[in-house]
Amino acid sequence: MTITELFTVILLVAGCFFFLAGTLGVLRFPDLFTRLHALTKADNLGLGFIAAGMALHIASPWAAIKIFSIWLFTLLASSTSCYLIARFQKEKNPPKNRKEEG
Amino acid sequence: MSVLIDSLLAILIVYLALQCLLAPRLTQTVFLFFAFGLALALAWVRLGAVDVAITEAAIASGFLGVLFLDALRDFSFITSGKQESSDAANHSVSKKKPAFLSLPGVVLVLGLGLFLLITLEAVWKVPESGGLTAATEALLPESGVENPVTAVLLNFRAYDTWLEMGVILLGLLAVMAVGGIKIFPVHRKTPEDPVLQQVILFFTPILFLFGAFLLYFGKNGPGGAFQAAVLWGAIGILLHLGGRPVLTVIPRWLSQLLLIMGIGFFLMLGFLLLAGGASLFEYPPSYAGVLILIIETLAAISIAVTLVSVFVHLNQLNKEESN
Repeated sequence: MTITELFTVILLVAGCFFFLAGTLGVLRFPDLFTRLHALTKADNLGLGFIAAGMALHIASPWAAIKIFSIWLFTLLASSTSCYLIARFQKEKNPPKNRKEEG
Repeated sequence: MSVLIDSLLAILIVYLALQCLLAPRLTQTVFLFFAFGLALALAWVRLGAVDVAITEAAIASGFLGVLFLDALRDFSFITSGKQESSDAANHSVSKKKPAFLSLPGVVLVLGLGLFLLITLEAVWKVPESGGLTAATEALLPESGVENPVTAVLLNFRAYDTWLEMGVILLGLLAVMAVGGIKIFPVHRKTPEDPVLQQVILFFTPILFLFGAFLLYFGKNGPGGAFQAAVLWGAIGILLHLGGRPVLTVIPRWLSQLLLIMGIGFFLMLGFLLLAGGASLFEYPPSYAGVLILIIETLAAISIAVTLVSVFVHLNQLNKEESN
């Protein structure tokens, strides 16, 4: 196993870990806002790790650029949809403030 | 290792399909259908049919997904409006249940059994000599393109593709027949969200570029008119959802021209070829590449406009019903 393969495996495992954490968050968190948080933050990070791992594995600059742009577009799309869903939910029934802070 | 991945994928697809059918709530069904479409696209990639995979992901998960979500919003409006009468509805449904289980249930089981038998037989008798691959490969130099899928779709079996475009147009006509053709009011009721606006404006040129790439790349690799059309259609749908309804801005004759452009050019070309003594869609080999590119471009524009109009019409329909 070369050093590149080792890094690829480490990156992929890290990506899978974040995906797992995000999925766990979606299943266990109590309301929509926290679930959105788990889904978008953790999954985007996981996708980033997996994209980096795959780019390292393919080891061609063009493929790396394509994979990086896939990650970038997913980041943009998922954060936008997260924002839109959260805003819709907030307008429909605003979250109960756990603690009013000045 | 790849056998493991393939079997996992196969199990996943069947599981998702079952879950999609058995899900108790409509929302779950719709989202499971998304997942099912994406898993199916992955399966097509594993089978080496990248063209089908892109189409599956774009149309089944993308375009149909948008339509399903739209319908879902509609349903939620209807159910929230009729909340008080839901008790009565529940009673009638529970009374009907035994009847539903008896006759259609038996028919369903019989049909499924028959289908399984036919599938088993088809799998058993799969031809050993790779079907028509050899014939396609042999005629590929004459087709004007390098991708065998495009060669089959737009040259050898151009008739089928032409009819498919007609089917899509018929779908739009059916939507119009139910909903009526409207001159849309330029509505600006959609709240102009700055984030959404910016993201849509960011994605519009990228989607256009990527669609054009898929269209042009269809000559020598996976891609082509339908895939490009879905991406271009996505631009129209995004702009419509973002409060910039493109189809309402352009004059009606222009949108009608765009709708029939692809199928019309195809038909005229066919007639010209017939008049010239060739058979229908038998392109002269020296012009085949250019002709296919023109047809694909016009077809992609037509299909994109058709998809956008289907969405816009349905969306408009929903708005009127919910008001």
